[in-house]
Amino acid sequence: MELRRYIIRRLVQIAIIFFVILTVLFMLFRLAPGDPVSRMVDPDMTPEEAQILISELGLDQPLWMQYLYYLRNFFMGRFGNSFHYGQPVVTIIANRLPNTILLFTTSIILSAFVGVFLGKIASWHKGGKVDAWMTIGALATHTVFLPWLALIMIWVFAYKLGWFPITGMISEEVWLNPEAGIVAKSLDVLHHMALPLATLFLIHFGSYLLIMRSSMLETLKEDYILTARAKGLSEKVIRNHHAAPNAALPVVTSVGLSLAFSINGGALTETVFTWPGIGRELVFSVSHNDYPLAQASFLLIAIVVLVSNLVVDVLYAYLDPRIRY
Amino acid sequence: MNLTHNVKTHVLTARVLILGLLAVMFLIPWRHAYGADMVKVGLLQEPKTLNIWLASDRWSRKVLGQIYQPLYIRDPKTLKFIPWLAQEHPVYDEATLSYTVKIRPAKWSDGSDLTSEDVAFTGRLIKEFRVPRYASKWKFIKKIETPDRHTVRFYLKTPKAIFLTRTLTTPIVQKREWTEVIEAAKKTEKPLHALLNHKMDRPVSSGPFVLKDWKQGAYLFLQKNRYFFGQDKTIDNRKLGPHIGGIIFKIFGTSDAAIMALKKGGIDMFWWAIQPGYLEDLRKHENIRVFYNEKSALYYMGFNVRRPPFNDVNLRRAIATLIDKDFILKRILQGYGIKMYSIVPPGNHFWYCPNLPRYGEGLPKEARIRRAYEILRKTGYTWQVPPIDTEGKIVKAKDIRLPDGRPMKRFTILTPPADYDPNRAMCGMIIQEWLRAMGMPAFSKPMAFGSLIQQVKTRRDFDAFILGYGNLSLDPDYLRNFFHSRNDKPKGWNMSGYKNPEFDRIADLSAGTMDRDKRRALIWQMQKIIMNDVPYIPLYNPKLVEAVRSDRFTGWVEMLGGIGNIWSFCRLRPR
Repeated sequence: MELRRYIIRRLVQIAIIFFVILTVLFMLFRLAPGDPVSRMVDPDMTPEEAQILISELGLDQPLWMQYLYYLRNFFMGRFGNSFHYGQPVVTIIANRLPNTILLFTTSIILSAFVGVFLGKIASWHKGGKVDAWMTIGALATHTVFLPWLALIMIWVFAYKLGWFPITGMISEEVWLNPEAGIVAKSLDVLHHMALPLATLFLIHFGSYLLIMRSSMLETLKEDYILTARAKGLSEKVIRNHHAAPNAALPVVTSVGLSLAFSINGGALTETVFTWPGIGRELVFSVSHNDYPLAQASFLLIAIVVLVSNLVVDVLYAYLDPRIRY
Repeated sequence: MNLTHNVKTHVLTARVLILGLLAVMFLIPWRHAYGADMVKVGLLQEPKTLNIWLASDRWSRKVLGQIYQPLYIRDPKTLKFIPWLAQEHPVYDEATLSYTVKIRPAKWSDGSDLTSEDVAFTGRLIKEFRVPRYASKWKFIKKIETPDRHTVRFYLKTPKAIFLTRTLTTPIVQKREWTEVIEAAKKTEKPLHALLNHKMDRPVSSGPFVLKDWKQGAYLFLQKNRYFFGQDKTIDNRKLGPHIGGIIFKIFGTSDAAIMALKKGGIDMFWWAIQPGYLEDLRKHENIRVFYNEKSALYYMGFNVRRPPFNDVNLRRAIATLIDKDFILKRILQGYGIKMYSIVPPGNHFWYCPNLPRYGEGLPKEARIRRAYEILRKTGYTWQVPPIDTEGKIVKAKDIRLPDGRPMKRFTILTPPADYDPNRAMCGMIIQEWLRAMGMPAFSKPMAFGSLIQQVKTRRDFDAFILGYGNLSLDPDYLRNFFHSRNDKPKGWNMSGYKNPEFDRIADLSAGTMDRDKRRALIWQMQKIIMNDVPYIPLYNPKLVEAVRSDRFTGWVEMLGGIGNIWSFCRLRPR
């Protein structure tokens, strides 16, 4: 009952926050320097033609009227057409989102599993060589500059060794080949995914490792661990069944939020690896003042982050019976 | 013990998985190259749309240029117009102010005939919908007639020079393909909006290629159009193909990745200007050929001549004298560019006026300062510390004063930021230093491109700026757009606010002069006036450096604007 009340209260909060985000996004893009038309015009376009274009995009209306249209369209589920693609932004996002989810969600899940696993080991060997190497390794990979690492990965594994494609998500050699079936095409995607996935994995697993390690170290000091030892339980059971589940709570929060943020992809990763995800579209839409596309993309991120925050909180209560709302 | 065992098991599993994945990658049979006769072209961004009326980005236009064709195109060497979809040059009838164009026998990619009706339809569509980017090239057309299937006649309201260079180079669309679209659009509240937002999945082509497949975010495949009118024909003394199976446009997020793919053989051409930093490495590669061509581009410094201090032509001339274009070319562009002395790029041979003032040309730094000092001193400028002391030595000047005795206020030179264009940002910095040496309180200010345009074009609140046009039209009518007083308005192209009734008169005259030679005389006069009044100081025109694989295809055609042109794609052959 308490939980239900909590969820309702949070949903109301989310609605209010979302409305604020809706308004801030509108203002932010309109107040940002530049305008969509200046990107589209060339010296051969007369001011009159530019004016037609401005009016066509609905930018000749006063700002408050544009805002009212924006709110009306939002509540009617109309997000408008991209200025540059000429297509509904929902279609563009729907086209790009699965690619982003495929890469980033996979990388976060993989990083989390490996990070938690290695974090457990590091904490168990606190102060030893294993712990030192793992901590140093995690810090080093976690703090490396992502585009640099991505380019190095491409240069070594794609360019020099030729093991993987340089960039992209699919290869035209496979997808244009009428003999290639679904298996070949799936393998092709996996083949292209290997390098960006490895890069993201290297960047992210360290943070999970470090969170898990420090959380485990705290947990291992708890009385119930001492009790478990006193009961004569094996070290493996104490570590995996008593310490790890309690220590994993901060990792759950971190993974939950990372999963939510993963839908915005990563502009840098997607750009360097030419991964056709939402991150590249975000960069394009913001730099080209494509308001409908930028607004819809950010709204999607806002919704997912707000909802996943709620999910993480509820999940916390489920994982830790001591937590009650 | 258990722990060590666990770790070993996991490591082993991971090794097996990785090895298995690698084995699959290398052993699966689908890695055979598909389409050995396809030219693979690297692009830095994906084309946004195949709707020709919406396409404003260069990437879409590169693709659409292989699909929709105009009546006339330019010869790659002489840049003269030659009939393309047209059979011959247009015939002018002065009495009726009309041009008659014969259409050559040609087909659309769906096998239907391309007729005069398609041409007339295209023009009427543009006029009726007032399609931005095309409407101004058609608004002076009074009437379009189609006396027969292969003849189209255009009646002009008034003589317009751009009719030949811009109207007749409009890409022609198929009437059958667009009729339904425009009928549906007309029934909507916003017809133009409906037209621009029409999703064009399979454009019907009259060009050498037709769309076969588009995997968004990955590649776009244009297949050879078997109905292409130029196939195996000789046009403009060039035997046309296409001799290739198609073009595959591949998207790369960065130049680094595209260049690696080029070196590796993943693409045959990178359709983008290559920065000098890559060249040494590319030149060493035995299977890569580098092309150096001129662009129809202009990079310049502009002044706000509406207000002091730059409303004084003498100050502008003095600044033009102080700017060392050789330095900019050698140090900033690393030699990959040419100096500009006119608003018209020199590569545009016919319209470029060679006899223009060249302020400070070839002078060393000290001589420039002396000359600029003379110009300013004679016109009433004074200094607290002049740049030349009583003994005639060059010293650092201090606090220049305007002819009316007021000190010159601090002014800014707006430039795009270095991450957008390092060359222009660096030019701003170096020009700032040259002007400070004369005691001018100049400050170079890099600014986000959008803000810069807003400041200069919309708000018109600025002192000076450095901007550029990377792809100027080959018709010099832009001179009129840039400097006619009529265009000195918010969002108008006359950003400097230049006003000269004599220039306006000649510009208007040139716009209505159909005779090429007479028009050239007027265009030259316009260039002379501008370079005399220097509302803009042309700085440089960067060389267009492009690279291709030389081991798979041959036949690239060089022209102003590079090798990425329809001639190349019609003449490329597998080696």
